[in-house]
Amino acid sequence: MAEHPQALRDIIDLCAGLAESERREMLISFADGAARQAPQPGESFDLEDTRKDEECTDTVGVFLRIDDARLCHFRITLGPQVQTLTRAMTTILCQGFNGSSPETVLEAPADFVPQIVGAELVRLRSQTVYYVLGRMKSAVKVWLNRERAASA
Amino acid sequence: MNDKIAAYAHPDVLVSTDWLASHLDDPSLRIIESNEDVLLYDTGHVPGAVHIDWRRDLNDQTVRDYIGPEQFAHLCSAHGITPDTKVVFYGDKSNWWATYAFWVFQLFGHRNAAVVDGGRAKWVAENRTLTREIPKPSTAVYPQPAARNDAAIRAFYHETLAHMQAAKPMVDVRSPGEFRGEVTHMPEYPQEGVLRGGHIPGAQSCPWATAANPDGTFKSVDELRAIYQAGLGLNPTDDIIAYCRIGERSSHTWFVLTYLLGFSSVRNYDGSWTEWGNMVRSPIERSTT
Repeated sequence: MAEHPQALRDIIDLCAGLAESERREMLISFADGAARQAPQPGESFDLEDTRKDEECTDTVGVFLRIDDARLCHFRITLGPQVQTLTRAMTTILCQGFNGSSPETVLEAPADFVPQIVGAELVRLRSQTVYYVLGRMKSAVKVWLNRERAASA
Repeated sequence: MNDKIAAYAHPDVLVSTDWLASHLDDPSLRIIESNEDVLLYDTGHVPGAVHIDWRRDLNDQTVRDYIGPEQFAHLCSAHGITPDTKVVFYGDKSNWWATYAFWVFQLFGHRNAAVVDGGRAKWVAENRTLTREIPKPSTAVYPQPAARNDAAIRAFYHETLAHMQAAKPMVDVRSPGEFRGEVTHMPEYPQEGVLRGGHIPGAQSCPWATAANPDGTFKSVDELRAIYQAGLGLNPTDDIIAYCRIGERSSHTWFVLTYLLGFSSVRNYDGSWTEWGNMVRSPIERSTT
């Protein structure tokens, strides 16, 4: 089974054993940091995937740069209506996966999400907690397909 | 009561943010926040507001149904609500879940209830006070209701099927793409397991948001009449079923038709498309417009 990157492992360990109220506080703290995951001036990316949804959620943009060592660097933009859990997961996943190989991101089993978010919130909003992970994996998959096509 | 609210058919079920701000310390009230965003309440809420989550608190945890009378009485008691308490709902998403919670409270006959026009977004936009302090209301005595009265305001599958066969009015409040069958879930929302896209044959499309202003408030009574009566051809005495995907957006439309326009017979089909679209042998219709 694929191993989680150390940075993600650290967050998983941090959340292990937290009481529900403490876990919520931590998630809100992560959510408050989501704006810092946005692209910084002067940064360039190999892949940009921004989708707008006027009806329900909001715009979520995934920006991926693969460096010379073939490691991923994610930036994510979130519209103001994006939910708190999604904003929390944005910070967690950017911190957890930055510096990982594309294969590590793509193959990362999603079983870490309930360990971080907690069974209660996953049960209440299962559709929300996996959203950003799915978008990040999609971006990586597109990049890998491009890499494969370029080398063919 | 402002002029806009006073013009609705049942103005007592809608309060303004101004009204709420001046009643924060009213002991006869219980303010309730209900959201789609499950952590939003924890980030800050209207002072004194308690949190009721549709899935945790209002849904039965093992049957696709709502809580029963005993659980409802327990929920209210735990939040310091008595049958005489005026419960005032507000929430995110233009009050989707606030109207949903309001609707569930009506299943148990708690008539002393209202929704905050504009919901959470308007309160926040007006830079009103938010707090992270969780109120701890004293436990109240809420006698167990004799029954949950589904018949008047809730439609089940077989009733909706009969309604369709009788060619009675039905309002599909989902997005146009969902109505046409191009998508089986809200844009950007994950697929939730619906096998087929489309709508219930004979239903008219009128997305819930048609009834809302950009700030989340409800449109004026004249605007609502133009949409539902002049536009869709509905009459106040029609027997109407509204549906969406799981019954939250259609709660918003149910609230509009029942309380703001005063329609006498509107039911919310909470099974909605996640039931109808998956049900073996249920007919569907697709359209290009």
